[in-house]
Amino acid sequence: MIPRFALARPSTIGEALAAYADVGGDAAWYAGGTELLQVMKMGLARFGTLIDLKALPELRGIGVDDDGALVIGAATTHREIERSLVVARELPALAGLEADVANVRVRNQGTIGGNLCFAEPHSDPAALLFVCGAQARLRGPAGERDVPLDGFFVDPFVTARSADEILVSIRVPAAALREGRAYEKAKFRERPAVSVAVRLVVADDAIADAEVVVGSMTDVPVRVPVAGEALRGAPAEVSALRESLAAGSAALAELDAADDLDGSADYKRHLAGVLFGRAGRAALAEAIARA
Amino acid sequence: MPESVDIAFVVNGRQAGVRVEPRETIADVLRERLGLTGLKISCDAQVCGACTVLVDGLAVSGCTYLAVDADGREVATVEGLARDGRLSPLQQAFIDEAAFQCGFCTPGMLMAATALLEENPKPSRDDVVAAIDGNLCRCTGYVPIVEAVLRAAEAGR
Amino acid sequence: MSGAVGRPQVAPLPPSPIGETVPRRDGAAKVTGAARFATDLSVPGMARARVLRSPYAHARIRSIDASGALALPGVVAAVSAADLPDVNIYYGHALADHPLLADGVIRYAGEPVVGIVAEDAITADEALALVRVEYEPLTAVTTVEAALASDAPVIHEHAAEERPHRGFEERIERDHPNVCSRARHHWGNIDAAFEGAHLVVEGTYRYPMSYAYAMEPYTSIAHWTDGGLTVWSSCQHPFMVRDDLARCFNLPLSRVRVIVPYVGGGYGSKSYTKIEPLTAALALRAGRPVKLALSIDESILTTRGDGALVHIESAFDADGRLRGRRAEILLNTGAYAENSPLVGRKAANRIAGPYRIPAVDVTCRVVYTNTAPASSFRGFGAPQGNLAGESQIDEAAERLGLDPLELRRRNVVAPGERLWPKARGMDANLEDDLCLVAEALDWWNPAPAGHGRALGISASDAGSEPVTTSLVRVQADGSVTVTAGSTEIGQGSSTVLAQIAAGEMGVPIDRVQLLQSDTAAVSYDRSTGASRTTTIMGLAIQAAARDARSQLVEWASEVFAEGDDVEEVAGGVLVDGEVRDWGAIVRAWFGGAYGEVVGRGYLRREGTTAEMPPFWEVGCVGVEVSVDEETGKIRVERLVTLGDVGQAINPQLAESQDLGAAIMGMGMALGEELVYTDDGSLLGGTLVDYRVPRASDIPPFVPILAQRGDGVGVYGAKGGGEGALNPVAAAIANAVYRATGARLREAPFTPERVWRALHERDDAASGD
Repeated sequence: MIPRFALARPSTIGEALAAYADVGGDAAWYAGGTELLQVMKMGLARFGTLIDLKALPELRGIGVDDDGALVIGAATTHREIERSLVVARELPALAGLEADVANVRVRNQGTIGGNLCFAEPHSDPAALLFVCGAQARLRGPAGERDVPLDGFFVDPFVTARSADEILVSIRVPAAALREGRAYEKAKFRERPAVSVAVRLVVADDAIADAEVVVGSMTDVPVRVPVAGEALRGAPAEVSALRESLAAGSAALAELDAADDLDGSADYKRHLAGVLFGRAGRAALAEAIARA
Repeated sequence: MPESVDIAFVVNGRQAGVRVEPRETIADVLRERLGLTGLKISCDAQVCGACTVLVDGLAVSGCTYLAVDADGREVATVEGLARDGRLSPLQQAFIDEAAFQCGFCTPGMLMAATALLEENPKPSRDDVVAAIDGNLCRCTGYVPIVEAVLRAAEAGR
Repeated sequence: MSGAVGRPQVAPLPPSPIGETVPRRDGAAKVTGAARFATDLSVPGMARARVLRSPYAHARIRSIDASGALALPGVVAAVSAADLPDVNIYYGHALADHPLLADGVIRYAGEPVVGIVAEDAITADEALALVRVEYEPLTAVTTVEAALASDAPVIHEHAAEERPHRGFEERIERDHPNVCSRARHHWGNIDAAFEGAHLVVEGTYRYPMSYAYAMEPYTSIAHWTDGGLTVWSSCQHPFMVRDDLARCFNLPLSRVRVIVPYVGGGYGSKSYTKIEPLTAALALRAGRPVKLALSIDESILTTRGDGALVHIESAFDADGRLRGRRAEILLNTGAYAENSPLVGRKAANRIAGPYRIPAVDVTCRVVYTNTAPASSFRGFGAPQGNLAGESQIDEAAERLGLDPLELRRRNVVAPGERLWPKARGMDANLEDDLCLVAEALDWWNPAPAGHGRALGISASDAGSEPVTTSLVRVQADGSVTVTAGSTEIGQGSSTVLAQIAAGEMGVPIDRVQLLQSDTAAVSYDRSTGASRTTTIMGLAIQAAARDARSQLVEWASEVFAEGDDVEEVAGGVLVDGEVRDWGAIVRAWFGGAYGEVVGRGYLRREGTTAEMPPFWEVGCVGVEVSVDEETGKIRVERLVTLGDVGQAINPQLAESQDLGAAIMGMGMALGEELVYTDDGSLLGGTLVDYRVPRASDIPPFVPILAQRGDGVGVYGAKGGGEGALNPVAAAIANAVYRATGARLREAPFTPERVWRALHERDDAASGD
């Protein structure tokens, strides 16, 4: 059962921050609640007050800012992202990812902000947004700051966000002209077991730049520079990628992983290599198609 | 003691007003206060879908959706599918296809299917499978459920 | 689309719904949400209960202090075993080894220690945290190997009382302190069989500990009134529960009433007694009706399915005939016996498969471990052994250079042939069943590249005890009330039994009312399980209907005949050129617009149900699979099931049962598994981690019904609902072998296990 708590429903960020200070921090930020309420039900967390962020206008909406960055309000639901025409245009891999998060009910209720802040190691959006160079915009008593997702995830269930800061939005830089971004995952239960996100840029018929992030397999999503290196310089042809992918997979085989119900560390590292191949080919195909 | 909140929402077309503690889920309120025991609690972890209800047309897990969040909204449960004592085409299709056995998952399945058909009146087989993929059934093996939804779509829901 | 094979020999009285797909009678209730389950019920003045459970798998309880909980406003009672001196706290229909609350010793993590009763659920929940229990942890054993070690901690220090409902006559044998029971199934000269063999195939197989996941969790309400006890419960065997409650609380059977509403899934996991004695004890101490509604996470800790370690050898002649089969089965049964002594006996019986084998020697040990108790679960010992036995048939076929279908055809028993001495002759045509499945699987054409096909077969001594009763009551208007102690657990008994009654009485089905599962309102039925209800309860209803009709014919002679002949016709009699329906006879006999006739049906081991088992439940399935060799993920491309049910009273329901059973089997073959740490904690005991099949997992499916009228049930019916589960794991393993050359011996065949098997195949091929 969900234990007893008080509910605050501010209409502005200012009111929200004040509500938090009023209860001396014995509070949790609440939006969709799919993860927060679940851990409260299981007796793993307890808060005197939940502060409902869903009415805050700054946390809603999907758009493109003057720099061409995709801006997604933290209280946007997975479903809204999945269905957004803006996302379909700016970052189709994200739309595809969101369509496959958990199940339809979680997608209708859960938010991207809640997902990122909860920082469950086995989750989908973090790896892709990370590899795309996304930033988290935080607002707290001391003001506003942007934190790159590369560095946002500190430990399982721990992020760089201070407890009294609200995640307001996520900003994803605009794609370069011939940039491809792809996400692949292996999922055996409710949550992903291993996921790989790849971003690469094509110039002069070759891969000019590439980044690889592995998610769900380690405590936090992790960038694998050697795998990105392995792709750089490869010819911009999907059928010619085999060697580069093999070299990159070897880097992934060095990653830490835990044995758990999804499989042993060895098997997960193997899967990471397989998914890297699939995501790499998909990202390259997208980059080529954008020319 | 945390304060109770007065909420008002529409359930199956009728106004409902209750005073609730913030911790109470929509499932608690529907089942224990309003006598609408159609939706069931099974896994209590948002996995099985036995507690599926629609809020403003969207399927949610009643076990983890706070009643206070339903304030001012429209809630649809299985009890609202039949009109004037007549089963809806979807309900009739479930009977015709024997799309249930023990019946525990059935209210949730019906609401998941209702959400689908309201948005997509002519779904493909794959659309139906995707729409109910988050609703577990331990008895039927799902085939008759998919058939029933397709049949209902044919009959015009 | 189904293929019906054969028609029954004896036509029932027309008009008859037998063999018709009559819409389910519980349909309107279930699709409108009006159907009430135990979780939906409440009683005036009812209090709510929650259970404090042990975090340790094996421990002694040093002290319990519930004073903090009792001080919380709204808490009505806090109860431990020590608070129940007036109650026989040990129950168990086979071995009374299970205390309703831990009695000084903890035997598994999750075992109930204290029951809290409060005005509402949230208060009961908050009170749990205020109870202080001091434990002295002991070493825990979670695997059968560890439990059987010579220095293993002893889980049950004292032998428990053997009880009469264990389901077999022999005394319960044990040959190690942690062996709950031991069964041996043997005949012939096993050593000679192996010595002279052309081929011996040997292997070790593992079958997972599983969770039935009935979607409705265990729920009971107990209400003490006027010296009697009424319990509502989500259970399959109300009369068995009544027996245990009577014994626990020193009550005569007639003062205990167990009522079962619609049950949200059972599959065997709700067989026998679970939380009813605890709920009744809490209500006794609280002085109020009490509802105990477990969560699914608690239900996983209440009953699970036996995991198995099987070592098996099969000996063959050069022409592929089985000479002998030897097996050792170890079942991991958890902390308490529950129904596992019978599961063990059945596992031993069923591993020989439906084959003619001159010599068999099988031992099954049911082993206690410090894990949640295992009990009945669909398949009941057959799936565990079938993975081993049917894998061996395919392995042998390859080495003999024979088609696996052909090898099976050579060895299955013929109709009428006994599987073992004194068993009922096979009441099925197994060879025809195999061929029907093979045909549906397109067996004789090559599978697409990367695909593999396999079929599997099982025959289970099913039906449990043929003991039951029924009443058929004809009212003054000719409508019929039938009582049946069977429960409606989803299998459709509420429809099928009404069909039988309607057919037997010759009245339209909408004039038939079926009363079920209330021990005060209906007459005795032993159980709803072992696929027995259509066959066994059907026979009792048939007998009761015949008794009612024979009384009515006699009455008709008395009040209408005046010396003329009375001829029975559908729904009444013909006398003096006029049809008098049953209602007219009742009214005439009683002399007014009132009265009723009561027909009684009794069933026991007698006549057609003298031989055991009452019927054989056949499982015959075929699968086609493909494997993603990069990830190891198996995809089932096609599934064929065959229900050899004699006469399908309701064909749609029979096919539906087969699909549900096969998908459950597929679940355990591909991903369902309860995993324990060495210290006895259950890893991931929630639906987030326990992966049951969902809609996107279901392959294209072909159901077949074989109806040859060869069963003892009404119109030649036999039972179904479990058979299709049994051979699924082996069929998938064999099909994966055909597709990839990799052999799987440990279910579930997770992608990782498949991936490793593929590597072993590659290593073997390169001669490593």
